[in-house]
Amino acid sequence: MRQVFEVLNRMKADGVISAYAIGGAVGATFYTEPAATYDVDVFVSLAQPPGKVLVSLAPIYEYLGLAKYATEGQYIIIEGWPVQFLTPSDALEQEAIEEAVETSADGASTRIMSAEHLAAIALRTGRSKDYLRILAFLEQGALDSRMLQGILQRHGLTKKWQEFSKKYLGAEDVQS
Amino acid sequence: MSNPELRKKLAALSFTEKIRILEKLRDRGIAIAKAGLRKGTSPKPSPHERSKAPEHR
Repeated sequence: MRQVFEVLNRMKADGVISAYAIGGAVGATFYTEPAATYDVDVFVSLAQPPGKVLVSLAPIYEYLGLAKYATEGQYIIIEGWPVQFLTPSDALEQEAIEEAVETSADGASTRIMSAEHLAAIALRTGRSKDYLRILAFLEQGALDSRMLQGILQRHGLTKKWQEFSKKYLGAEDVQS
Repeated sequence: MSNPELRKKLAALSFTEKIRILEKLRDRGIAIAKAGLRKGTSPKPSPHERSKAPEHR
């Protein structure tokens, strides 16, 4: 995984991306017990030329293609890890990139989405495995309730959180 | 150790240690997939292996 982090940092230094944050199961593992995963989800803000409206991942594929990294479907294989590059689909994911947590692993620095953003994205996505992720965050005490509440309010997820709380936490009126 | 205790212990590991566990889990998953165990069958022997295998009656 160290090489994945190093490649991401190099991409940022070379101006291919302007920012990134690791989400998905690898991001969640920063806060909870490790959960088996096949891939690495990397959310990126692209360094787009001024005036360009359409967002394209082509510069990433070109850059990593020149470095001889193979592609497999939507993945680019970096040192054995299938890496999926995702552009933010809404303001929540954009904010998650901007407010990611700086950390390091195996001697390489990297950026991981905050637990609160990962929980909000999981809540919005709403699959069973996403709800399990939120419950894992809660079990580990990884969520700052004030920060989570702010994110939920900003991105229109408060009602969904209340429904989640009622269903899975047995709470009638839970703010966060 | 109960499951919640084990999860807490694993969650408290450093990110570096957790990444190493992720890599082991990934390698194990790949090895299982290669062996064909996910389909509930043993890997098919190659024609060469079939010709060498003793016959059982």
